[in-house]
Amino acid sequence: MYSQLTTGKQTYVKSKIASENTAIEVNLGIDTRKNKAVKYRQERVIWTEDDEIIKHGLMIKTEMKAKFQRGNQSIGQYLKMTSIVNPHANIRFKYINSEGETEIDEFWKRATRNLPKPVNSIKPHPHGIHLGQLQRMLKESEERKLTSFLRQNFSGVSSRAAKEVCTKAGLSDGAKPKLLKAEQINSLLDACTNVKFLPPPTNCLSPIEDLLIKKGLSKTIDSKFVTTLTRSPRVTSGNPYQIEVGLIFGGSIPSDQQVQLLRFANRVPLMYQQGGCLLTQAISSVDWRQYGLEQSGGKGIPKGPATILVHLASTNVQFTSEAKEAVASNEDVLQEIRKSLLELGRNLRRHMKKKKKMAKAQEKFDLINDILPAIAEKASSLLNKPIPELSRTISKIMNAVIFEQSTVWDKETKTTKVSGILYNYTARPRSYTILMNWPEKQGAVMIDNQRGGRKETTGLWAWKIETLQPGENAIIEFGLDNLEKGDWTETEVFYRGSAEIIGASKLDEKILEEMKRQNSEDLDEDLGIENEVDETISNVASRAEVSNINLTEVQKESFQTKLFEEEDE
Amino acid sequence: MGRRREDGETKEALHHIVNEMYTKLEKGETPTMTLPVRTKLNIDFDKKLGVYKYGKKKSTRDASSLGSAKNLLRALHMVEFIDEMIENGKSSTLREMYYISEGWGHGKFSTQNESNNLAEDLEIITSSMREDFRLRPEEDGSRIIGNLTINELNRRGEWMKINARDDVGDSGYGVPYNVEEEKIQLLDHDIDFIMAIETGGMFDRLIENGFDEEFRCGLVHLKGQPARSTRRILKRMNEEWNLPVVVFADGDPWSFRIFGSIAYGAIKTAHISEYLATPSATYLGVTADDIIAYDLPSDDLTSKDVEALKSELSDPRFADGYWQEQINTMLKLGKKAEQQSLAKYGLDFVTDTYLPEKLAELGLA
Repeated sequence: MYSQLTTGKQTYVKSKIASENTAIEVNLGIDTRKNKAVKYRQERVIWTEDDEIIKHGLMIKTEMKAKFQRGNQSIGQYLKMTSIVNPHANIRFKYINSEGETEIDEFWKRATRNLPKPVNSIKPHPHGIHLGQLQRMLKESEERKLTSFLRQNFSGVSSRAAKEVCTKAGLSDGAKPKLLKAEQINSLLDACTNVKFLPPPTNCLSPIEDLLIKKGLSKTIDSKFVTTLTRSPRVTSGNPYQIEVGLIFGGSIPSDQQVQLLRFANRVPLMYQQGGCLLTQAISSVDWRQYGLEQSGGKGIPKGPATILVHLASTNVQFTSEAKEAVASNEDVLQEIRKSLLELGRNLRRHMKKKKKMAKAQEKFDLINDILPAIAEKASSLLNKPIPELSRTISKIMNAVIFEQSTVWDKETKTTKVSGILYNYTARPRSYTILMNWPEKQGAVMIDNQRGGRKETTGLWAWKIETLQPGENAIIEFGLDNLEKGDWTETEVFYRGSAEIIGASKLDEKILEEMKRQNSEDLDEDLGIENEVDETISNVASRAEVSNINLTEVQKESFQTKLFEEEDE
Repeated sequence: MGRRREDGETKEALHHIVNEMYTKLEKGETPTMTLPVRTKLNIDFDKKLGVYKYGKKKSTRDASSLGSAKNLLRALHMVEFIDEMIENGKSSTLREMYYISEGWGHGKFSTQNESNNLAEDLEIITSSMREDFRLRPEEDGSRIIGNLTINELNRRGEWMKINARDDVGDSGYGVPYNVEEEKIQLLDHDIDFIMAIETGGMFDRLIENGFDEEFRCGLVHLKGQPARSTRRILKRMNEEWNLPVVVFADGDPWSFRIFGSIAYGAIKTAHISEYLATPSATYLGVTADDIIAYDLPSDDLTSKDVEALKSELSDPRFADGYWQEQINTMLKLGKKAEQQSLAKYGLDFVTDTYLPEKLAELGLA
């Protein structure tokens, strides 16, 4: 519409599905008076690009007159945000200025080949229904009895509940839905809010999933630490919704500015009205100071080298206005977002604590590896005396067992190298079991593990270190294959043993039990989808069609997620 | 400064520091460096000398943390550097040494303040002067104007007679960094007292108004916290010519400290207070009372000012009744004033009214 208003030109659309040989080309316009699309031209064509036949796809070309903007509310930012929450998409953005020079050419590569789970359509829930919608449903209903209308067209309505609604509304069970009068519809709606129903099914939502958010964030923003979380779906006034959050910290993010907020509703970036948005309010309501970010008075948008992402997926996202720029207030959703942000905050705090600990350990290493030998060397040469043996002094200064660990990407071998050294700088022999986590579930393969050890549980490997004498050290090294750069950047180290290790955390056996239990459950689930693992392009493509079909069905159903719904009323 | 050491003595004293570290290492212990505590908590009044000196409290720096270990390593490098300069008959400025430390690997200084402080540490531990170490400051001393005559050994090795009124321009006689006997001789004067002035603006105002001639005095510009050479030449004029020294500074906590370092010795250089301090110096103004008495334009004390005043209250150098009263008055007033705020009453007010009145109180006018 904007194109048509500013340039008067039609929008060109080309679309093809894999099962057909040709693509359809149309020129589209809009009848602004009737708010209806107008097709000007329709043709079947063979779609090729660089002499190659395109199997399936969609292409839209439109021309508009507009001011090209940069910065936070720009096309680039919109696409960047889009790529974070659509990690399955390759996105390329080219800006060619009026002189014909390419000023911007950005490419966000897909982080996964797995397509998002197609959304399932569900019927509306009586607690979330609006008058207009109810009126329309009644008018269009085929049912003869009110109770069966309620049971057939809504989710969560048992026959007992349907009868209760009729009683409360003062209507007979057998009233014909089509013939209800305005005031009767009103009392029916009233009754709906006063009766308890089963909650609506929540499997209809398609979250991005925390791991993919992590990948999406890491590829678009250079940072040191990423934590993400997908909560389980919940229901507010009859509408299923699900919260996903992410936080990235450090790296090249400027530390003297407000934290950048990335807000999304049903995978769509929200770029405007930040201040008046529920998602912003939730972020502002958290006291971020306790988690290591600056925030004046413990309220408002925090400051620091971080970016916070909030995604609200729901069958019915309530916006503050028709422009869909900001999410409207809702106490349930606010609390749910708050809870998930608090969890991210805890992860951040843990990360910072660990970093601090490691920095302290690093200082000690510098001290004994560089400074102390230099002192010994200089003092000896000034006095013309032999260099003294330093091991006793080192043990005295360190007086601790230390684990030094690094996780780095090896460009040559295209593997992730994890290595660690356990030093005993105490006066006594020590034995430990060292454990490290690794991304086994993400499909990583452990290679070059010279020390052997054994699997503790999925994603956790253990090495036994027998009697490390004072002054001795033990090396653990392994590689991770089948991962891409940036997939695994931080390895956590745990230990079993009596004396504290600087640079590792004591293993919490309770958490380990929990992990083991979780893993065995996951295993059962995994078996069910085993045959889907080999994901070839054609597989993905055929699944894409399936989800296309779902989409059309969804539209017919007309009460599916707002994402696909036209603006009504 | 009258007690230059033999080079051999200096080297030996420095090697004691190295020896302390080496012995500890030999025993399998953490290397250490022992030095007097350098805060106001460890300065005592020396009755014999009439100045404040470091007390008996010692602190030990050991190599158990990265910061202090680096400090020890730097000290070793500095000892080696001084050794070499003594060997080769060279000298260097503190700033040059700071840049030379670029080549000291892990022992490199990260700020010049660090290198200056460590040089002072070594002076204190070895009871030497930095001149013994062949180190000199790059900061120049002050300027002097007045009818006094000095003999200075110039670069060609000739003695040059300079009268600080007749032989100099408006900027006065520039005090070199070395003001000892071998470089500077105090020949003659026809003045009644010395006035040390904190700011250049006020120094120039008094010169323009011809204050030095009218009131028969020598004017010394302190340039804020005075350099060692400035304090030393004040002390020599006071002792050798028997001239009273008065200090004219801003009316704020930092001016009190400037006076403290002139009269009683600075905390940083308490190991050589007897060479630098002029115990008979008196504080002329601007006092806290002046702010009220002359109704001077003033600024509110900042939180840092208040902190400084409170710290001065517990400083042994300001323990007497006069200073306790001045500091408390300023705290109560919550105000400070600059020397130049006297210009409120006109450019001549300071020389026609304020200073004559203040000097009369001291019996100098």
